[in-house]
This record gives sequence, structure tokens and C-alpha cells, in this order.
Amino acid sequence: MRSGRRRDLLVEPPTSATGDIAFNLIVFFLVCASVQPDSGRKQTIPSSETVDEEQEDQNLEVRLTRTSVIVNGEVVEPARFDSVLAARLQGQTRPEYRVVVVKSDKELPYDRWIEFTSRIEDAGGTITLQLEEERQVVVP
Amino acid sequence: MAMGDIAFNLLIFFVILARSQDDSHLQWSPAEAPNLENAGHSLVSIVVDQDNRLYLNGDELGVAELSGRIESLLGDRPAGSRTVLLKIHKETLAQRFEPVIEAISEAGGEMVHIVDERNNG
Repeated sequence: MRSGRRRDLLVEPPTSATGDIAFNLIVFFLVCASVQPDSGRKQTIPSSETVDEEQEDQNLEVRLTRTSVIVNGEVVEPARFDSVLAARLQGQTRPEYRVVVVKSDKELPYDRWIEFTSRIEDAGGTITLQLEEERQVVVP
Repeated sequence: MAMGDIAFNLLIFFVILARSQDDSHLQWSPAEAPNLENAGHSLVSIVVDQDNRLYLNGDELGVAELSGRIESLLGDRPAGSRTVLLKIHKETLAQRFEPVIEAISEAGGEMVHIVDERNNG
């Protein structure tokens, strides 16, 4: 009796099942690979039509260049940027007064842009972009 | 046994078909930012790669076509399901990425910048 049981434990799975096992393994790894979520920062930028020109004059303006940050015409140290911004936005309860107009230098890299726009949003500001328009003037 | 082979070949076919719309083969390095959240599911993925090329769901295109193509992909979907994933190489200059952001905004996309987590301090 004992020797019979031992023989049962040593029985190998049928070789015809290896295809199915391989197939299920492939499906498993494909599903694992396809559900890796991306993480990022959500950003809502109001279109330029929703910010009227009169309002734009009253909004905070941040100019970003490769080496400097200028808030309403005043150069600000990057380390002081959060506190300057928080002070300017303090007491502004209406959403239209929390709009910050961001003007970027053409040569500004994306990593610097995302750093400062993230800091503006974390301080409670709403970003709007002001793009420099290129105009071609045809000289007759 | 032939059924297994047919299923396997069908699977490979659909995997290859899916990867042709995929942008995971594109070369770009993410910037860093704090306080990230899960981007969720999205129909639209835009990449500006390290060679400054623009791709929409893996297809190369020009910035002038971008807004229209995003609009047609998003259709009449309600707010909350208009997510557009934006993957910009960290050294891309403003003159390249700002028109892309403007096009997404114009098309009514809800932008999520795909970046790496920055730990403050």
C-alpha cells in the first residue's frame, strides 16, 4: 500500500498541458505589463478667451527665464519664490484674482517650467500662459 | 494541440497590433515635480521626445494638426474622461512645448504632465 502511494506522487503532469501553461503564463505577464499606472500632475489651463484683458492687467505676472524668475517686474530668488507668491495671493478669494500669467522665455527648458508652474499651483494660483506670437512683416 | 497554437498566434498578432499604437518605444526623460497623483486611463498620449519630435499615440505629426486630432479622439466625452497624457522630454524648450500645451487646452483636453516624483528636502 505505502509503495503504491509514493508512486502516485511521482506522476508527472501530461506533456499536452505545457502549451496551456505557457499560454496562461504569457497572458499573466501581458496583463501585469499593461496595468502599470502612470503618475503625474494634473494641470488645468484656462483658454486665453476666458481671461479678459482688463482682468489680465490686475493678475500676477511671472516671467521665467533660464536663470531668473521675475514676479511683477521684480527679480525674485528661487528660494523666496513660494513666500513671495503666497503673500501676493493671500486674501484673494475670487478665482479670477488667483490667476497667474506665466510668460516663458523661448529658451526655457521644460524641467524648469514644470518646477515653477507646480509651485504656483501649490501656492493656490491658477496658471494661464501668455505665448509670444511670431509675426512676419513683409517689406514691400 | 493545434487549438493552442492558433490561440498563441492570435495573441501575438493582437499584441503586435496594440504595440503599433503604443509610445513606449519613444525616447524621452521625464522632468521631476512634487505631489503627483495617478494619471488614470487616457485615450490620448502625447510625447515630445529627446529629438524634439512630436507624437500623438505613437504617430509623428506637426503641432498645427494636433488640436484637431485630439478633438476627434476625445469627441463629445464629458469632463473627467478627457484626460490627455503629456510626456515631454525634460530639456525641451518653451518654444516647442508651449504650443503643444496650447493645442491641448484648445481641444478641451484635461492635461496630465507625466513626470517623476520629486522628494522635497
